[in-house]
Amino acid sequence: MEKKELLKLELEAARCRRNVIRMVEASHHGHLGGALSCLDIVTALYFYKMNVDPQDPKKADRDRFLLSAGHKCMVQYAVLAEKGFFDKKVLDTYGSLGTHIPGHPDMKKLPGVEANTGALGHGLAIALGMALGARMDENGAKVYTVMGDGELAEGSNWEAAAAAAQHHADNLVAFVDFNGLQISGKVSDVNDYSNVADRFRAFGWAVREIDGNDMAQIVDVLDAVPFEAGKPNCIVAHTVKSKGVSFAENVAGYHYWSPKGEELQTAIAETEARIAELEKEVQA
Amino acid sequence: MIGEKKDPRKTFGAAVSAMAEEDKRIVVLSADSGFSSGFKEFAKAHPERYLECGIMEQGVTGIAAGLATTGKIPVFCAIAPFVTCRNYEMFRNDLGYMGQNAKIVGRNGGFTYSDLGATHHSLEDFAIIRMIPGVVAINPQDPGEIRQASRAMIEHDGPVYMRIGNPPIPELFPEEPFVIGKGRMIREGSDVTLISTGTATAAAIEAANALAAEGISVELIGMPTIVPLDEEMVLASAVKTGRVVTVEEHYAHGGLGTLVAELLAEKHPTRMKMLGVPKVYATSGPYDELLHFYGLDAEGIAASVRGFLAE
Repeated sequence: MEKKELLKLELEAARCRRNVIRMVEASHHGHLGGALSCLDIVTALYFYKMNVDPQDPKKADRDRFLLSAGHKCMVQYAVLAEKGFFDKKVLDTYGSLGTHIPGHPDMKKLPGVEANTGALGHGLAIALGMALGARMDENGAKVYTVMGDGELAEGSNWEAAAAAAQHHADNLVAFVDFNGLQISGKVSDVNDYSNVADRFRAFGWAVREIDGNDMAQIVDVLDAVPFEAGKPNCIVAHTVKSKGVSFAENVAGYHYWSPKGEELQTAIAETEARIAELEKEVQA
Repeated sequence: MIGEKKDPRKTFGAAVSAMAEEDKRIVVLSADSGFSSGFKEFAKAHPERYLECGIMEQGVTGIAAGLATTGKIPVFCAIAPFVTCRNYEMFRNDLGYMGQNAKIVGRNGGFTYSDLGATHHSLEDFAIIRMIPGVVAINPQDPGEIRQASRAMIEHDGPVYMRIGNPPIPELFPEEPFVIGKGRMIREGSDVTLISTGTATAAAIEAANALAAEGISVELIGMPTIVPLDEEMVLASAVKTGRVVTVEEHYAHGGLGTLVAELLAEKHPTRMKMLGVPKVYATSGPYDELLHFYGLDAEGIAASVRGFLAE
């Protein structure tokens, strides 16, 4: 991809990061860390790769994205809003009674949401069902999901992983958002999944590893799908928790953020500065 | 023919397979359970719509939800506790909360897997599934109802749980279209209302006949849909007889009996007796002997009704 196009994608990501902070402005809390670690991936999916139409969110041959780690839903809302699936004013209702953007996504409440995820360990099986359905329909659609690294400890994921290989679901793409931190601390100290790539390979998947906050690497890996014909695709994306908000980066405590002191103003300033910087670069 | 015994699993599998010949949206899912659910022939004829996944009921429930989002009608049948208890959160979130058009069928329900013991009994399936908003729960009473309920289940747009048993059961009624949520007035009476469901209905008919011979007039209602309950039929009968007994191959509490009790407590408080299995891990043994042990055969039901009327 050309440098300019990459910069444009990075600008979209910067705008989406600002959208995430906007939701925290409204509610004064939210699962910040994971939403920001996988944000570049979700941005690339919607603004570069996926066949979706905000004006026709249910079109039959669409590619599908579901966020297995549903607590990171602010990323999904941020990207869907930026893509035009709904009015950005809805972002200001985060945390309010009856909002269409609850703390875990609800497909009945918002266009573009494909599954009610968030109970961990559900998303991969649902994604596999979607992938098999799309294959029966022969419409060429792909199904993408983002799983958390802490989420991998849920055994149900591995039921789905095995079945995906058995059914040769090469239109299924699972990102592992490997930011290395979960509520209790380092994933490696809680239930060590550092060798997740080997584990997926052993389950019959084709696996790539990338820097999941590097837009060029994300674009390249998406273009390489399917990595091997007949095998489901796993992308272990090494990411930085809370990427883009300096004081929160790589700090487990920002898994869930209730802003204190000047934190919110700092986050707003940093994300807006990044947008301004990228807008200049794009125009240059 | 009335009285003829048929295998519930084969009856169910054949009914769904016949529909699937016409309706290409139907996809059969198996957790190493499809062949014993009556889908062996379908698997051979339509391998592209028969998805074997191995013994992974949680995952298969999620896969069913995903398939349903693409417009398929997944049908997943396996041993009842493993498609209700083991996968409960997937049933609740992926099928219930997401409102997906998938059909889950628990076979070998109740304690029809009698001598395999409590791990394989399913005595709380309706108690837990009824708590998931939007899920229809069906408990057919004879082979004809299994055939017709299979059709109704597929035609219903939304998640459905259906329970079937294992040993052959007799045809009890002339076959007619199954209407979800409708009870069946089997015999009218004036002394007591007996409401039965599923496999308990054959024994309830026998018990009602025996009681009639003694001069006790039993109004017998067969209730093949647990959710939604036919409230109108229950209320009218309770008003008429003033005494209600429920019987089910399920824990005495939490299923049909509890649903009836909740209705009557709010709308028309009525003396009640709930027959079923007490809240224990049921013992194991031959099926008929288990039914007798827990008072769920005709003799036990009749004795309980007599005792209730004498109270």
